[in-house]
Amino acid sequence: MIKHFLSLEWKQFKRASYFQKGLAIKILLFLAVLYFGGIAIFMGGVMFFALEKTFPDIDPIVMVNNFLIYWILFELMIRYFMQQLPVMNIKPLMIIPITRNSVIHYLLGKTILSFFNFISLLIFLPFSIVLLFQGYPVVNVVLWFFAIMCINMSINFLNFLINKSNTVFYGIASLVIIIVVLRYFNIFDITEPVGVLFNGLYNQPYLAIIPFLIMIGLYKVNFDFIRKGFYLDGAISKKTKEVHATDLSWMNRFGNLAPFLKNDIKMITRNARPKQVVMMSFFFLFYGLFFFTQSVYIEKMPYILAFAAMFITGGFLLSFGQLVPSWDSEYYKMLMSQNIPYRQYLESKWYLMVVAVAVSFILSTPYIYFGWDIYLMIAAGALFNIGLNTFITLFGGALNRVPIELNTKAKAFSNTNGFNPTQLLIALPKMLLPILIFFIPYHFISFNAGLIALALTGALGIVFKNFFLNKIENIYQKGKYKTVAAFSEKK
Amino acid sequence: MITVNNLSKSYNGVQVLHLENLDIPKGQSFGLVGNNGAGKTTFFSLLLDLIQPTTGYIKSKDILVNESEAWKPFTSSFIDESFLIGYLTAEEYFYFIGELRGQNKSDVDALLAQFEDFFHDEILGKKKYLRDLSKGNQKKAGIVAALIGNPEVIILDEPFANLDPTTQIRLKQIIKDLAKKQGVTVLVSSHDLMHVTDVCERIVVLEKGEIVKDLATSEATLKELEAHFTN
Repeated sequence: MIKHFLSLEWKQFKRASYFQKGLAIKILLFLAVLYFGGIAIFMGGVMFFALEKTFPDIDPIVMVNNFLIYWILFELMIRYFMQQLPVMNIKPLMIIPITRNSVIHYLLGKTILSFFNFISLLIFLPFSIVLLFQGYPVVNVVLWFFAIMCINMSINFLNFLINKSNTVFYGIASLVIIIVVLRYFNIFDITEPVGVLFNGLYNQPYLAIIPFLIMIGLYKVNFDFIRKGFYLDGAISKKTKEVHATDLSWMNRFGNLAPFLKNDIKMITRNARPKQVVMMSFFFLFYGLFFFTQSVYIEKMPYILAFAAMFITGGFLLSFGQLVPSWDSEYYKMLMSQNIPYRQYLESKWYLMVVAVAVSFILSTPYIYFGWDIYLMIAAGALFNIGLNTFITLFGGALNRVPIELNTKAKAFSNTNGFNPTQLLIALPKMLLPILIFFIPYHFISFNAGLIALALTGALGIVFKNFFLNKIENIYQKGKYKTVAAFSEKK
Repeated sequence: MITVNNLSKSYNGVQVLHLENLDIPKGQSFGLVGNNGAGKTTFFSLLLDLIQPTTGYIKSKDILVNESEAWKPFTSSFIDESFLIGYLTAEEYFYFIGELRGQNKSDVDALLAQFEDFFHDEILGKKKYLRDLSKGNQKKAGIVAALIGNPEVIILDEPFANLDPTTQIRLKQIIKDLAKKQGVTVLVSSHDLMHVTDVCERIVVLEKGEIVKDLATSEATLKELEAHFTN
């Protein structure tokens, strides 16, 4: 029995879409896995020494334990958005003569090998090894590590329960916000009392039994949950939520483009995949913090800031825009045979991106805190995004013919939709161009000249909007048959 | 209305469709039958300019479909579920199509009212996304959407498949009315010989991409078709 399951699993792995891609992408993916794995291992290995150096009077293990709660909550959030439920593949196994219990054990067991479980392992294993080399008591360290892994697994199983109900998710999300706010205003610091708990795990190693039991308990709950719903209309059925129609008729003022814009808004709000992308683009807003907090960049290499400024307002543009025709891949044939001029279709996507850049720009107002220079830079970056990056993105979309399943969350590392060498090539000018356009006048004239050049390029792009859109439309028209054929292929 | 001239489609040198000459006059209800792989869907896809002809052309109302987009305003179609937008409710989808075809909300509502029978209370006001409807109900929505905006050419690929008997009978009536009363050119493909003979004035049999029979429907047509497909 197990043999069969394993061979199924192996086939699924080998034949998964991300292995069917070209060699170059395989190598890139492999490097990405190595890179992230390497970072995790490195962090784990260095963490001890870094903490020791920064907080010389606190034991690093105590420090780690104090902040463990944040890591756990963070992991929970990431998993909620990224990790797929395993139950969806149950259907073909239902009518095969295998006991239900073994199918369920198999499904749940499979999740242990999930990518997400390895993040913690790769961080905490090197950390524990360092601890051992530093002469920490073996029993304590080993059992502490074991406890952490049990907690890791508990999160894994807890996530599936959370995914089944929105209330649990919003509960946890507000809890996180409350914790952070309370700590920020120095009202109450949860790290201490929770830290006591985790330190207890370390000091009293036999307590590792508690996370172990929690893990077993959550496994059991999941097991019962699936067992009870082992029917087509039970746990494995997709939830069909009742539709709450929103009135978007105020958008009619956009004239010809209104039907498309309304449709795009619905597409984004009603499907898992685009929602994920919008979430991601929200995080782009914080990208500037990496750069504007470092005086090195501000004093010595302000042209790097042009890149950051472009990123802050360009989150949606970059992540949504690069998949432009793909978002409509599920019904592309209809769009192509309906009474729709290509031009309007493209123009509506353009407006959507422009609005997104504008909204991001408004949301980026707090960056004034870092000074008007920075804020003006973001403004220039936004103009550049609207005037040039939108067109480059739409142009790149014409070369992208990967269908998207709208209502399926993208999995980590299998999210290779639209990930191909051409996309990478198209992405380069989007990122390097603003740096270049800023750098040349900055180097020869002044900082302000750089800003003006950046803004001016964007403004020029807006002036020549029709010209660009015409060119792009021609490219889309030429590729139409190929795109239709590619989108109607089943994945 | 529709003229086909020396049309052929090949994939990697293998010819899947070859139509020397075919004329479909305005207001004709035209049926296409043939076994799997006979080229029915290929022909419809060529008509809608979803694939490129290898040779020849199709003219719809004197417009070359693979060169101009001017046929789009008077042509509508339902080929398969990929013509539906899964995340819309049926109403939203109808209004969307209506907007594309220059119909306002009340125009669409007036049209939908005629199909209350056809919907059998399973489509409208259900607060369900199209992707959550059953196959049959999706098909009903798709077919009715193809009738929005007074099209002059309607293309339906296997409209009877997946429908329940009651709906099949109602659909037959709808198609007949479209051709007879409103002068719409309706192109239908089907595996159900009885239904096509009921509905269509003219039936063309495709085999391996070529026309092997072109019949004006009469009493004897069904027998003839059955005899043809028995061998």
